[in-house]
Amino acid sequence: MTAQQQETIFRRWLDEHIGLMLKVVRGCGASPQDQDDLFQEVLLQTWSSIPAFRGEAKETTWIYRVAWNTALAWRRVERRRREGHETFIKFSPSPQVQPSHMDSLREQEVVERLYAAIRQLPKVDASLALMHLDGLSYQEMAEVIGISENYIGVKLNRIRKQLADQLKGASNEL
Amino acid sequence: MNFEDLQKAWQSQNASATMTINADVLLKEVRRNQQHFRATIIWRDVREVGVAAFLTWLFLHWAIRDREWSLYLLAFACFAVGMFMLADRWLQRKKRPVTNDSVRSCVEASLIQVNHQIWLLRNVFWWYLLPIQVGLGALIGSVVWQARFAGLAVIIGLTVFALVCGLICWGVYKLNQFAVRKSLEPRRQELETLLSSLY
Repeated sequence: MTAQQQETIFRRWLDEHIGLMLKVVRGCGASPQDQDDLFQEVLLQTWSSIPAFRGEAKETTWIYRVAWNTALAWRRVERRRREGHETFIKFSPSPQVQPSHMDSLREQEVVERLYAAIRQLPKVDASLALMHLDGLSYQEMAEVIGISENYIGVKLNRIRKQLADQLKGASNEL
Repeated sequence: MNFEDLQKAWQSQNASATMTINADVLLKEVRRNQQHFRATIIWRDVREVGVAAFLTWLFLHWAIRDREWSLYLLAFACFAVGMFMLADRWLQRKKRPVTNDSVRSCVEASLIQVNHQIWLLRNVFWWYLLPIQVGLGALIGSVVWQARFAGLAVIIGLTVFALVCGLICWGVYKLNQFAVRKSLEPRRQELETLLSSLY
């Protein structure tokens, strides 16, 4: 793969799948600084993974794998590595919503609670919760995580209950 | 609120709405980062194996010049340590975790890597310190034997030198064990917990 092809794919993935990466980052990093740093690491790992991409897996499955593997391996100490480097991203963890759009604001609050609840889960459960909320099939989740679809079903049942417990009260606000 | 409502709210979010990426700067940064990573790996190899190669050459040169058998032994010890590091690096290169693998494969590969690193540092005495110490011990012993009539001061000086060498080795060993306890063991536990949640 030439450098030009790698760049083309990367730019397209940035356009089409940046939200996916961002969700993984927000599901893992608690503070905005952690999120910012992890997000940059995910982008860098995604770039590095492109030469190995042969199109055999779906792009979203590939990016989920890279993002989750990066998130699971990432540690706060790694932040020091890039201190002083040029900033290529302006990152705001909470999307701004016009006060007039009350439904959007309430939905946003629910989403924020969801993120908070997901961050409380064990890491693998958090990854499954996030992919499930994103609407991935059991098969796709199995490809990302590397466990059987049956086991994913079992885990998701438990995760759904945990999320529901943590989000009690959210229904009144939606 | 049921799960479908949550999913609907979740999918309605535009996660990237307020984020602006300067793609050109980003590309510059990823390329720079990749070069930096490669340079770090190369320099680490050069530093570790290069030092062993240089010491091998140096002791060999002195051994030939002075016709001193213990220097040959020391040169061989440095060569053996360098070769061990090189072989280990080469073998482990193939087992590195790949980020585009499934999460389970990646965690398993990371665990193998961390376990190997722990094994290396725990056994640093056998593959690193002992060969060097044997070489140094032979050299000091040989010099002491040759200087046995040179007076007490020379013997004491050589004994102090031997003690300092021993102390440095002890320090290197302790430092490696500290790295295992402080950094690698917690990482191993973290990975084992992750892996157990996948079974």
